[in-house]
Amino acid sequence: MKIRPKLSKLSPWLAWLIGLGVVIAAGVGAGLIVFWKGLWITHLTDLIPWGLWITIDLSSIAVSAGAFSLCAAVYLLGLKRFQPVARTATFIGLIGYSMALLTLLMDIGRPDRFWYAVVYWNKHSLLWEVTMCVTLYLTVLVLESLPIFAQFEWLKMRWPKLAEKMSHVHHYAPYLAVIGLGLSMLHQSSLGAVYGVLKARPFWYRPDISVLFIISAVAGGMALTVFASMLSARLTRRASVDDNLLDRVAYFIGWTLVLYLYFRFWDALSMTYTYQPGRTEGLQLLTQGPLSFNFWVGEILLGIVTPMILLLYRPTRTSQLWRMVALALVVGGVVAYRWDTNISGLMIVLSYLPGEPTVEYAHYVPSLIEILSGAGVVAFGLLAFSLGVRYLKVVNHSLTVEEHENRKVEAKKPAPA
Amino acid sequence: MSNPKVDRRDFLKITAIGVTALAGAQVIRRAEASEPTPSGGRQWAMVVDQSLCNGCGYCVMACRAHNDVSPEITWNPVLEAGQVGDKKIYLPRPCMQCSQAPCVDVCPVKASYYRPDGIVMIDYDRCIGCRYCEVACPYGARAFNWKAFTEQNPAVPEWGQPEVARRPRGVVEKCAFCYQRIDRGLALGMTPGVDPDATPACVVVCPVGARFFGDLNDPGSNVSKLLKARTSYRLRADMGTGPRVYYLSATEENA
Amino acid sequence: MSKLERLIIAVMFALLAAGVTLAAAQAQTPQPPQPTNSITGDSCVACHKDIYDTWQGGAHGQSLTDPVFAEAWNAQGKPGACLVCHATGYDPATGELKAEGVVCTACHSPIPTNHPTDNMPIDASPNLCGRCHSDPRFVTENWKLSAHYQRSMTCSVCHDPHSAGMKSVAGAINTRADASDLCANCHKGVMQNFPTSKHAEAGVTCVNCHLGFNVGTTDITDFVSAHKAPDHSFVPTLATCNKCHANQMHAPGESVAAAAIAIEESGGTPTPLPTPVATPIPLVTSQPAPVSPAGFAGLAGLLGLAVGMVLSPWLERLYRRMNTGRMNTTGRKK
Repeated sequence: MKIRPKLSKLSPWLAWLIGLGVVIAAGVGAGLIVFWKGLWITHLTDLIPWGLWITIDLSSIAVSAGAFSLCAAVYLLGLKRFQPVARTATFIGLIGYSMALLTLLMDIGRPDRFWYAVVYWNKHSLLWEVTMCVTLYLTVLVLESLPIFAQFEWLKMRWPKLAEKMSHVHHYAPYLAVIGLGLSMLHQSSLGAVYGVLKARPFWYRPDISVLFIISAVAGGMALTVFASMLSARLTRRASVDDNLLDRVAYFIGWTLVLYLYFRFWDALSMTYTYQPGRTEGLQLLTQGPLSFNFWVGEILLGIVTPMILLLYRPTRTSQLWRMVALALVVGGVVAYRWDTNISGLMIVLSYLPGEPTVEYAHYVPSLIEILSGAGVVAFGLLAFSLGVRYLKVVNHSLTVEEHENRKVEAKKPAPA
Repeated sequence: MSNPKVDRRDFLKITAIGVTALAGAQVIRRAEASEPTPSGGRQWAMVVDQSLCNGCGYCVMACRAHNDVSPEITWNPVLEAGQVGDKKIYLPRPCMQCSQAPCVDVCPVKASYYRPDGIVMIDYDRCIGCRYCEVACPYGARAFNWKAFTEQNPAVPEWGQPEVARRPRGVVEKCAFCYQRIDRGLALGMTPGVDPDATPACVVVCPVGARFFGDLNDPGSNVSKLLKARTSYRLRADMGTGPRVYYLSATEENA
Repeated sequence: MSKLERLIIAVMFALLAAGVTLAAAQAQTPQPPQPTNSITGDSCVACHKDIYDTWQGGAHGQSLTDPVFAEAWNAQGKPGACLVCHATGYDPATGELKAEGVVCTACHSPIPTNHPTDNMPIDASPNLCGRCHSDPRFVTENWKLSAHYQRSMTCSVCHDPHSAGMKSVAGAINTRADASDLCANCHKGVMQNFPTSKHAEAGVTCVNCHLGFNVGTTDITDFVSAHKAPDHSFVPTLATCNKCHANQMHAPGESVAAAAIAIEESGGTPTPLPTPVATPIPLVTSQPAPVSPAGFAGLAGLLGLAVGMVLSPWLERLYRRMNTGRMNTTGRKK
């Protein structure tokens, strides 16, 4: 099918595709340059070896947490009516984990050895545990997404039996949900523990960092799912949402933010007591130093407090605009949290010479190559989601109800609309 | 007939609780982060006498030559560590070869591992370049090869000849107590710390004899005797890493 | 199965076999070349090319072929006594020499039979260097007076035995052209105060007083001729001072002591420091980066947005009221 776009009659969909295509092309180009020349062309240094890419990696995994939490709610808590939202979340999860893997592929020094962690084990290493869980969970996500791919019209036409089999995987959804819940609980908090177990970095060395990571992931993941569903429904008729469902999920996100704020508050307050070299400076960086706007405005004010109020206060939660604003802010706050955590700990250079440890500060600004390749990965995610909405009915709250009836799920009563 | 939906949900709940409990039990059982270094046999240690070290940096050059290290990386930098009177004090910092090394704990592919004689080794063929060990090391002893080192090593041959292969781009590297010299020396019947050919290059080249190397498990070795005779300290010993490089302080009397 | 399917499967097997073989082959370490037991430098070069090249370009490698030596040697009728040091393995009885120049085995001998398993022997002490360099016209006697020797330092602390030149340390703190770099590298304490002294201002460096080089001399052949080497006791004597200050010793009217007192009372004159080597931008700073103005701007923008949202209907009313005269509105107040 030839597409001859006339610039005057460029459909929004095509313009969107072209825009994303440009960014993806730039990202692919930047990524190839990195593979060819080596990591020295980035602004990463031995003092700050983890930068923008790791933040994108952490954030992608965090905002994919909607998949496990909603699937657990649907299949393990029996909240069957949220199944359509869980479907969207699963697809977003698949995209998010692929984005994370792409970013990691660029970031490790030997991309050709990316599979080593699966073969060579170090059971004491949290990063190994994260890698294994992510790999296994990606498999789970692929399996959970097979019914979604089975909705592809072309597939149903060309290979109907295959589509039928793929759809049938839905029967195993509860078991996959259990496995997915277990794996996700492990690695979402382990990602925090990757930082939290390092005694060499006093600002990171605390147990609650894992708790903060998983709570923020749950909030951010669900927020992205709801936001993406709402945005798709506004932009195209191929996406249809049941606002009541989204309203309930948004309400739950609001309370999750309350819990997150509670932990965050005590986490930060506990660090202010007595001077500890490295830790006190880290907190100063966050609250008064170069990261202070990111922290106070990005994370706390706009990332937690404002959306918390907007989502718990009925008039704003039921308003489409305010709900979307709040959800977008939550996702932004989750990303800001991961950036701040990563950078603040690495910026603190603690001296190991005898005497009271002194602190110096390293610096990092992402290079153009990192920004371009990171943007390319994000654009890939957007593209994948857009294609899912258009061709796979990823955001379609009415479809799943029919599917349930077609599948003859054992239910005494039909699922409430 | 029993209600299959309820049964399945119960089954799933019980399974989930059971799996969580099992996982928790495993975690508690394996609470100790990693296996401690096996004791017995030889335990290599290095002693640096700060009253003698004048910061000349010969050890840096010898290490760079013998281990073919890129000029952009220093396995064993010489740092300024204050003064005593009006004499500046220097502190050479090789890898501490910790007995409870954070880098060994965190490597996802176990590319960093303990040797029975206490040296922390890196398998450069296994390292994936994730740089977690670099972040975890409290002493900043690890360096990442951001680019491949393809040029002529400026320290060669004036300061020595490479005895190990060059590391490729994308892996982390660090001082390994010149294990290649130790192993070869032992095979030839020499004593590391006594015979120069079996001793780390930095120890051999020091023009003022400020560095010593030997077996802690041998009470007659030079390091054992030194540590018994003089007060020594280790860097950040409070962190529990168990470093194997000891420093003899420079004082007003001996500086 | 069709021929095509068979071919595809065969290709898959082939790739698998090739890949496995490639991986296994790369795991093999290459065997080093086996040296012979010959005495010339030619067999050492197979493994030690770097050292060989350095040696060839230096005084040891060129000890027989150096034109200054060759000219003088030929002029004196090619005496065999010179070959004892300028060649390797010279046998005065037979007049035969084993190799031209100071080759590897001049210092590294006897060669072990299973080298490289066994190391080449080397005597790092001054005794080995002293076999040639102990001529009274040379260094060794003075060297034994020096604190360096008494603290067990060897010749190779400062000299590269292969190139027969001075060692160079990367990042040595001075950028002088002579060997003073090397002195300053170890004797950092002295270099804290020396650069502000009058001597330094006059262009005097370590080697001028402690090795007896003339001030301003950088070309070694200017000073070292034939077998004359600098005084390696490193102890300056009165003769050293007199090289420059002879006229001031016991000079009428203005004694050295008076001059010294005058300098002391005037507090010394500040001497210009040598041009510092450009310091690279430090990787760490003692203070964190300041808060960026972009953050302030963003916050102000947000506040402006909120204020604008709240105030805009009010502002519109105000605007309309101000313009009731000029606009064609009924001016009805809401």
